Amino acid sequence: MIARDFMLFLPELTYLVAALILFFMCLPQKADHKAIYAVALALAGLGVAGALLGMGQEGHLFFDAYQVDLFSQVFKLILAVAVLLVVGICHGLAGVEDRYHADFFLFLFTCGLGMMLMVSAVELMTLYVALELSSFSLYILVPLRRGDNLDVEAGVKYLFIGITASCVMLFGMSYIFGVSHTTYLAGIMDRLPLIIQQPAAMIGLMLTLSGFFFKLAVFPFHFWAPDVYQGAANQVAAFIATASKAAAVALLIRLTALTGGTSLYFIDVLMVLCVASMTLGNLVAIVQKGIKRMLAYSSVAHAGYVLMGILTMSELGYSAAVFYSMAYMLMNFAAFGVVVMVATSGQNLAISDLAGLHKRSPLLALTLMIALFSLAGIPPTVGFTGKFLVFAGAMQQGYFWLVLVGMINATISLYYYLMVIKAAYLSESPAELPPLVVSMPLRLLNYLLIAAMVYFGVCPGGFLDLAQAAVRGMMGGD
Amino acid sequence: MDSLHTYLFVALLLFCIGLFGLLQRRSLIGMLISVELMLNAASINFLAFNRFLGPDPAVGQIMVLFIMGIAAAEAAIALSLILALYRRLRSIDIEKARELRG
Repeated sequence: MIARDFMLFLPELTYLVAALILFFMCLPQKADHKAIYAVALALAGLGVAGALLGMGQEGHLFFDAYQVDLFSQVFKLILAVAVLLVVGICHGLAGVEDRYHADFFLFLFTCGLGMMLMVSAVELMTLYVALELSSFSLYILVPLRRGDNLDVEAGVKYLFIGITASCVMLFGMSYIFGVSHTTYLAGIMDRLPLIIQQPAAMIGLMLTLSGFFFKLAVFPFHFWAPDVYQGAANQVAAFIATASKAAAVALLIRLTALTGGTSLYFIDVLMVLCVASMTLGNLVAIVQKGIKRMLAYSSVAHAGYVLMGILTMSELGYSAAVFYSMAYMLMNFAAFGVVVMVATSGQNLAISDLAGLHKRSPLLALTLMIALFSLAGIPPTVGFTGKFLVFAGAMQQGYFWLVLVGMINATISLYYYLMVIKAAYLSESPAELPPLVVSMPLRLLNYLLIAAMVYFGVCPGGFLDLAQAAVRGMMGGD
Repeated sequence: MDSLHTYLFVALLLFCIGLFGLLQRRSLIGMLISVELMLNAASINFLAFNRFLGPDPAVGQIMVLFIMGIAAAEAAIALSLILALYRRLRSIDIEKARELRG
């Protein structure tokens, strides 16, 4: 029995031990950052192994406050892969001072741990504590950057917007507790569809969701994203843009499933947020000069696409949202990876700094092109398949105009993605810049990312089946 | 006075005061205090619902204990960041930190 519980908790235990090891590594005054990097990479690899072993496990832990099912395990795998990828591009870590490298990895792992706890939590307090564990780690990661004042300023803004969002969420949770008399999601799910028309229940649910809207950077909780992406080290921005989004999608699916799809008013609110996020994100992204700010606004737009899958409240829509969050993790990471590898001293890049990239490093230019095509939704990439599934889910529910707005937005987004590709392929750099040296492991990583983006675009079947099974289990089993 | 609505009203008022203070204050310490008010509003709600409606009298109190613990961690992180900002800018006025513009 004990051994079985350990198996259920294996991915989280791996991360917990990893965080402990890294904690002891940040104690010595003089740290060997090469060794720290090697240890962190090995631990992240173990984390993925743990998540893979945890696949297919099912059960409850901690007085039923913690549920291990296929849904949570799929997201844990996505999160573990995201952490491994981010650690993979942390070689040298030019953006962070040498003496903080161990701390950097420590908070990366505690944040990963928090997110893993979050996707399995089925009780309000567990959910809140897990969310805060991941958020607090991010609040510290953002200002760890070397150099200018931007990092602390971004950190303070992120912190204050974040704690406000979590206060609002907690206030909403208190109303949900008030109307349903329980903190267990299973109990809430029995009660909530009956009383969802009551103002207290509706307000409580909306306020609770806003905490996750903040994480996902949905309008009107998006305004931290560009500042934080710009102020944080490139690797941290990559982490926030990938892992933290996937965890937020998981929780939004779990919480919207609580209503049982019975409330039309609730769906209307989600629709407004979805359209506003897509449109605002895409329109503002056009005028951005910095590539990280552009990617930040594009992430607001992509939050809108994910929301379109969630608001259908159907099995197809939810599994499309799961697929989309996997796709978004891959393609956004590929784009950020290129930014990290081009910015060799950890600086911020303007879009014009990419000029002549195809001569300096053809591989990076190719990765960037495929990633941006994927973000824009051009076949045969994973981004196209993800958008197709999300739109198909919305069509099935008869939301024709919503799909139309989504299509128009996808076309708008093509413009600014193509501008970046134009800078990388057609513009000549004013000064003759030396070719970029990309080390062998990183070359391999780029090939792998390109292969994955095309593979999941052409044959989405395997992962989609997994996502569907996971969603079915989550909707039926809860 | 011994009714659920009184407590809910006080909590809502506290929440609104906190939100207003957060938007109104320019000093980071003031903003932090406002956030604490909002957290306390949520705590009062939990306790009131628990006292008048909850079947198990312990749930709401445990929630509040957790909220207090997390609020302490939050204050520690916030104060350390405010200190870092003060060392760079010699000020804790949020208006001074305006290099990043939405």
